[in-house]
Amino acid sequence: MRESTLMRLQYATALLALVLVAVHLLMQGVLVPYKEALLFQRVLAVYRSAVDASLLELLLVVVLAHGFNGLRIILLEWRQGAAWTRSVNWGTLGMTLAMIAYGTRTVVLATTGAVG
Amino acid sequence: MEARPSFQEYEVPSEEDSTVLEALYLVKNRVDHGIAFRASCRMSSCGSCGMKINGRPRLACETRVSELRGGAITLQPMDNFLIVRDLVVDLEPFFSRHAALMPGLERKDTVEQEGPTGEYLMTQGQLDSLVQFTYCIKCGLCSSACPTGATDSKFPGPQALAQEYRYLEDPRDEGAEKRLDLVDKDHGVWRCHFAGTCSAVCPKGVDPALGIQLLKRHVMAGKRQRKEGSKVFPNPNKALV
Repeated sequence: MRESTLMRLQYATALLALVLVAVHLLMQGVLVPYKEALLFQRVLAVYRSAVDASLLELLLVVVLAHGFNGLRIILLEWRQGAAWTRSVNWGTLGMTLAMIAYGTRTVVLATTGAVG
Repeated sequence: MEARPSFQEYEVPSEEDSTVLEALYLVKNRVDHGIAFRASCRMSSCGSCGMKINGRPRLACETRVSELRGGAITLQPMDNFLIVRDLVVDLEPFFSRHAALMPGLERKDTVEQEGPTGEYLMTQGQLDSLVQFTYCIKCGLCSSACPTGATDSKFPGPQALAQEYRYLEDPRDEGAEKRLDLVDKDHGVWRCHFAGTCSAVCPKGVDPALGIQLLKRHVMAGKRQRKEGSKVFPNPNKALV
């Protein structure tokens, strides 16, 4: 993938993360009192709403894609070399996908009622 | 060879208009003949005498001793370059990176290039958009001040990238696609984080950071780049010959 494509992704996820985190904080800390928002049953109720669960999944993907691409950039500037570049590119892609899979598992389990 | 670099102190007289380069020549001629530094034109045209003066990359020939205020002046070789000796650094990688980004007009009309019949015209507006970048004297101060260059040895640096923008913006150039491919890489234009130190230290008032940002815009525009350069116009002066 061209570097400009990855940077487009980086800028887009940054903007999207800003909006999604704002919505998330609004829902968890403003519209619902903070203490109440963290109650187990309340959290499960959030996951069981299709809209809220979709927003959480989107937030998960966006933040992980942005964060790991940022880490990739830092590592590429830290050291140079073909092998290092290849390892960093594939390593960060692998970690991004693994973390998305793990986070999605939580969302799916909570949404489908397998938890609680 | 010294295991670790160390400072050597010299004391020389100076007048109000004395430059750091003149002070260095005084040291070399009267105190220590062995001291090494690069210099040539003494008028900020050649870019040879770049060094760190009191911690800031500057040209020694255009820095007056009086403007530095204070007793001792600390001179160091430029950062981000290998030191050859004293204040002399190895500029070869710097020029190689510059050369790697095709610093010249790319044209397809090779016949015209071999035997010119006219001129490639450009408007005042087109000239204005790139003229500041033609003032670059390749002194290396911008690359010395670049924080990305300090860690990423493959980063072309502000000088080479700003020159890339200069040719990309030139209406006579036809190498846009090749140029964009050269900078749209892991260690290309995107590794610039816009610290702006390159522009702050340029002795010719060039703004490489701006050039790099505009170059990023060109890369983002991608296939919308211009493919054909400006046409040849008959040389009006030929009629007078």
